[in-house]
Amino acid sequence: MSAFITRLRQNLGTETFGLLILLAVMVTVFSLASPRFLTAANFGSMGYQAPLLGLLTLAMLGPMISGGINLAIIFLANISGLTFAWVMLQFGGAEAGLPAIFMGAVAAMAVGAAAGALEGAVIAFVGAHPILVSLAMMIFLRGLGEFLTKGGDISGFPDVVGALGHGAIFGFPLPLLLFLIVALVWHVLFSRSRHGFATYMVGSNIRAAEYSGLPTKRTLITIYALSGLVCAIAGILMLARFNSVRVGHGEAMLLVTVLAIFLGGIDPFGGKGRVAPVILAILILQILSSGLNLIGANQHLATAVWGLFLIAVMILRSGRLAALIPFRKD
Amino acid sequence: MKKLLACASAVAFTAVFASAASATEIGVVVKIGGIPWFNAMEDGIKRQADALGVDAEMIGPTSADPALQVQAIEDLIAKGVDVIGVVPNDEKALEPVLKKARDAGIKVIAHEGPGLENVDWDFELASAQGFGEAHAKLLSEKIEGPGKYAVYVGSLTVPLHNAWADAAVAWLTENRPDLEPVGDRYGVAENVDESRKTALDLMAANPDLKGFLGFGSQGPIGAGRAIDERKMSGKVFVVGPFSPGQGARMVHQGVLTGGYMWNPAQAGEVFVTLGKMLAEGEEITDGMEIPGLGVVHPDFEGRDIITDNLLELNDESVDGLADMGL
Repeated sequence: MSAFITRLRQNLGTETFGLLILLAVMVTVFSLASPRFLTAANFGSMGYQAPLLGLLTLAMLGPMISGGINLAIIFLANISGLTFAWVMLQFGGAEAGLPAIFMGAVAAMAVGAAAGALEGAVIAFVGAHPILVSLAMMIFLRGLGEFLTKGGDISGFPDVVGALGHGAIFGFPLPLLLFLIVALVWHVLFSRSRHGFATYMVGSNIRAAEYSGLPTKRTLITIYALSGLVCAIAGILMLARFNSVRVGHGEAMLLVTVLAIFLGGIDPFGGKGRVAPVILAILILQILSSGLNLIGANQHLATAVWGLFLIAVMILRSGRLAALIPFRKD
Repeated sequence: MKKLLACASAVAFTAVFASAASATEIGVVVKIGGIPWFNAMEDGIKRQADALGVDAEMIGPTSADPALQVQAIEDLIAKGVDVIGVVPNDEKALEPVLKKARDAGIKVIAHEGPGLENVDWDFELASAQGFGEAHAKLLSEKIEGPGKYAVYVGSLTVPLHNAWADAAVAWLTENRPDLEPVGDRYGVAENVDESRKTALDLMAANPDLKGFLGFGSQGPIGAGRAIDERKMSGKVFVVGPFSPGQGARMVHQGVLTGGYMWNPAQAGEVFVTLGKMLAEGEEITDGMEIPGLGVVHPDFEGRDIITDNLLELNDESVDGLADMGL
């Protein structure tokens, strides 16, 4: 048994191992606390809720691995959603056909990627800190969006769009499917691709990466452009989930994405971390939030518990505690 | 290990049976948790739930983001409650999830969301027209001679605040042509500090500003603070609904003129009363009396039950209301 666990730890990495323990503990506690936790309805509900946070977290992931941060993700998503909505409205709102939806999605992703690329370019060529650049971008996009919409919301989309947010294939929630596809692409991107490798190198030491002949400027622009692209997907999903789009929707999720990333073992200084533990971290945060709602806990308590979990994970991850737990040989 | 499993499943089974046999379950999702208005509403919900013997809880998200309300409602659907109550931050963003709730056989009751479509009933303790006009009249009584006034709303997307503002501005335009609104509406009234800062800026920019209409629970408080800081009491008047406990001292100081409100605790009670009625299959009919609402004349087309249960907030009434925990 202990040999198995050691092997598991080696294969999965310490982050994943600690998170798996945490996941198991939480599932046990919540299923004992509420008989409704282990039900299809609850897992279905989580399957519809988690993807939005998940996509936004993936958008935050690239910049964080490169040692930066993208504070503009929510508003990148909002502005891309607005682009999508605008295209829909040009083609008759609720009557818009599939080609219009496709065009809207392409336009939204183009806007998201372009805004992200602009952010990356400023970071790469001006050399300003990503916190400042993305904060400026966030304020700009927010203001622009509020100006264009006068703070109101746009709604009235074809039913097909709503299906993306609420539909299912063979009982499997569509938003979750979308998220899993993007997550898989992200996993391959960061573990196997040239761009992924360059991202880690930029994150560990950008000067060394540059002297080694890596195109650091191009890498930075690509990182933020990809981040913007995923934001656009998240923005379209948000629009589909709420059947409306407004600047400020989802604002509360910005810091939760950072939390999910730290929980997933990404080094805050960049250069280290993998996609799989981050996915696990998103799952844990969702279980925690839904579980606490099921047992009727106070929402503010949930926030406090998130903080506690972060601390607990750091202790688990230090390896000290894991070494102390005696595993019996059954 | 086997014993433990048996034990756990026994616990789970009893819990399932207990909840299946127990009373109506009601979950109410409000705009935001931890502010006095919704604390009072929670008291009302709890009190009435105890009185009627139903199981009711209130969920107050940590920030006024519709995304969090959608999540909370999703969780309530998964939990399988009988009735979902909601005080929406953004009506349109909630339609899909409320439709999902109704498709799952859950009764949906809204408050402060008359435009919602996927609800069984929306109830209001004040009609938009009556409430807006009552404030406009109060402001008009206080301001003598020509001048300007500013209008706050909670946010530009809170339909009810904007409907009040529409009614109030319409009344003032009609009856007090010498009063002129300043700029557009300011969507700051859910935040004390923003309301205060905006009031300071507006007073600095408009020396002839005579009044504030603050629709949104923190708007009048913030504007009142600004007037206190600038020593403008008696020159600039602040009118609007606010929480009496929060504003009592300012009313006595004279920096906050007064306003009207309805009782959030009463709204909480109505959520439970109405929820139990709907869960038990009772029909709402014209002219029936519902505790907490009085005799109702529902709008069956729009699924709205609109009543006028206004409480006046002034120097005399405010302390009594504050003592009620509001």
